[in-house]
Amino acid sequence: MSLTDLMSMAKPNMESRGKLLLRLGGRELVNCFQCTKCTSGCTALKLLELKPHEIVKLVNLGFVDELPSSDIIWTCATCLKCVQRCPQKASPYHVIMALRNVAVEREAKVPDAYMKAVSQILETGLAETCQKITTREMKVLDREGLKLPKINSPRESFQSAFLKALEEK
Amino acid sequence: MKITVFWGCRIQTSQYAYEMSVREVLPKLDVEIVDLPENVCCGDPVKSVNAFAATYLGARILALANSAGLNDLLVPCNRCHFALSEARRTLQTRPETMEKVTALLKEEGLEYDPKLKIWHTVDFLHDHIGLERVRGAVRKQLKKLRLASHVGCQIIRYTDLGRPEDAENPKKLDSLIGALGAESIEYAEKLDCCGAALMYSHTDSALSLAGSKIKALQGLAVDGLVVSCPDCGLMFDSKQKQAETTVGEKLDLPVLYYTQVLGLAMRLKKEKLGLQLNQSPVDKLLSKIPS
Repeated sequence: MSLTDLMSMAKPNMESRGKLLLRLGGRELVNCFQCTKCTSGCTALKLLELKPHEIVKLVNLGFVDELPSSDIIWTCATCLKCVQRCPQKASPYHVIMALRNVAVEREAKVPDAYMKAVSQILETGLAETCQKITTREMKVLDREGLKLPKINSPRESFQSAFLKALEEK
Repeated sequence: MKITVFWGCRIQTSQYAYEMSVREVLPKLDVEIVDLPENVCCGDPVKSVNAFAATYLGARILALANSAGLNDLLVPCNRCHFALSEARRTLQTRPETMEKVTALLKEEGLEYDPKLKIWHTVDFLHDHIGLERVRGAVRKQLKKLRLASHVGCQIIRYTDLGRPEDAENPKKLDSLIGALGAESIEYAEKLDCCGAALMYSHTDSALSLAGSKIKALQGLAVDGLVVSCPDCGLMFDSKQKQAETTVGEKLDLPVLYYTQVLGLAMRLKKEKLGLQLNQSPVDKLLSKIPS
């Protein structure tokens, strides 16, 4: 759902805001004075209309319950320009990441690829599966064909340890 | 010297050219590569799902690197380098997270030690090996080549975390290109993102970001684009053809990993540098290097 649709009936919730601030630890987003340096350099602004300064403002005003349901938090390209250039260390990237975590916890709509990556890690340790590459001369090659060493798999205890880590909030 | 290498997922599952060329050039610079005993995700894709689990994965890699017994860890992927650096920062600044992570690692007999030095290919070659030694390894000057560098996002930002390159004016990759006798051009789009992270949720936008940068470079008559991150390699090389439709122009820019270009200057065999794997038309660039 778009942010405008979600915001039309929204009410601030200071308790959710407090919880999000706690999650962010030392991130000083309350100091944001809306200079919009983050938005002016944002990789995702041009194509996907992500406006990081708006997200920070909404969180500061207490509109935290609406954001995790919005598609907008999944448009961040994680280029980190906003973290780098913010004069107030408000760090919109970290705010967006925290909101994504809340979206997962609330079972809001999360792009499939993220959950797939997690189950892939549980299964093999890696977030991706090994691919065969077709060369420009149309030869199909894999790691073995390229004489690359076998990938070292994790020890058996990894799966249960990672599952425990995923239960933490 | 010996160095432990953490390859991460992308390099070991599809960007084989990067792995092959690193494995090929480092021994020529007297560096012996030791693979981590386990290759597990750095935690980056998990950041969006669960911050704690992501930090745990990062800490686990650092703990595995400790168990390898060496002081230096080479992380050739920008995203993995960032994930490990941020995990280390989180553990330093949040005692509660540190306690929980330590307990989880202990269950597996692993121990986290923050002293490890984390390198990326670019600063390892530039700062540790040094430009002099890189120059000394060159057997064939790449004098006629006009190249553009793309160092990527997560290796240069954010400065507070301590990054291998300057955030607004990264120069190390350019100097490394210069050390091979080639020219590294300045261009307005140098810091533009490849878009890889958006492949998870907005494929067309991701391709459009990659395509726009290539389109801009084609207007500058460069012989090729040099990258040093598997995500950037994926977007600019492997996905270049696919990106054509998003920018409405024929894209045919050679894209190579820096270690591949270095290997060419060292006169190493093309197949050993994985040059048969590049999907972009690298032959155009290769034909400009006198044999």
